[in-house]
Amino acid sequence: MKILTCPVNGPRPVSEFVYGGEVRPMPDPANTSDFDWADYVFNRSGIPGVKVEWWYHLASGTWFLAERDTVADRVLRTWLPGEEHP
Amino acid sequence: MRASPLRHVLAPLHPRLEVLHGMPVALHLRDEQPGWAGVLGVCDLSFLPRMGLKGPGAAAWLAERDIPVPAVPNRWEPLPGGGLVARLARSEFLVEDGFPGGPVTGLAAQLQVGPGVYPVPRQDCALALTGSALTELLVQTCNVDFVAQDAAARVVTLTSMVGVSVTVLRLPADGRHVVRLWCDGTMGPYLWETLTGIAGELGGGPVGLDSAFPDRSA
Repeated sequence: MKILTCPVNGPRPVSEFVYGGEVRPMPDPANTSDFDWADYVFNRSGIPGVKVEWWYHLASGTWFLAERDTVADRVLRTWLPGEEHP
Repeated sequence: MRASPLRHVLAPLHPRLEVLHGMPVALHLRDEQPGWAGVLGVCDLSFLPRMGLKGPGAAAWLAERDIPVPAVPNRWEPLPGGGLVARLARSEFLVEDGFPGGPVTGLAAQLQVGPGVYPVPRQDCALALTGSALTELLVQTCNVDFVAQDAAARVVTLTSMVGVSVTVLRLPADGRHVVRLWCDGTMGPYLWETLTGIAGELGGGPVGLDSAFPDRSA
């Protein structure tokens, strides 16, 4: 069983969570080119490595951030948005 | 008249009903056995008045009304009369009366959308699970052993049980194992059917309020 640690509720099986996608900076839609905007909307990076991702704990409605090594599928740390990166 | 989310699944069990807090409550079920509550009883407590509120001002709103506020998320505090206040997140609370009553009706009348305070409608299916076989039920249905928790620590757990999001806490009950559980009312019949089915396999079953809480004071 894979375990993910919610920063509020503690370690739980991954079945209690939903993946929310990689954290990506959104370009300013008023000032960016159509090419860059389309790239942001439609394209995702599949390059393996250490990524910061959104995750959601279904039972408590908690969104949080997780730093995950997608090569080893190992979560390095989790924290709440607005809190300092631990 | 209020109605339990479980009224349709309770009706075939031929409950002896009494209106408590404005809702018909199953005090006894026709076919329940005397020992079920001690082995593994599942009891509907949806009739207890409750309210929810959230927002950055919610803790202060409760404190101004002399309601004890749990200091950190996922903890609860008892209220006089057997009720409780559970902190479900940094700024969300569940308040529930005990059997004799409590502050919920008065608080709910005061609760309006205000600066940093927002009402949260609570139409929960509320259950109590009792008995010595609780651990056997939990290992089949969820990922947390509430029986192993120290009841004195007053921990609130938000987790999934047979696929349903639930809020759970263990009550201090003089050596008995008593777990309180809340879920969305629409999921209540599914959760009830599943839990009572497993309880039946383990030597227990659905029980009325008189069996689950024989010492209740209302």
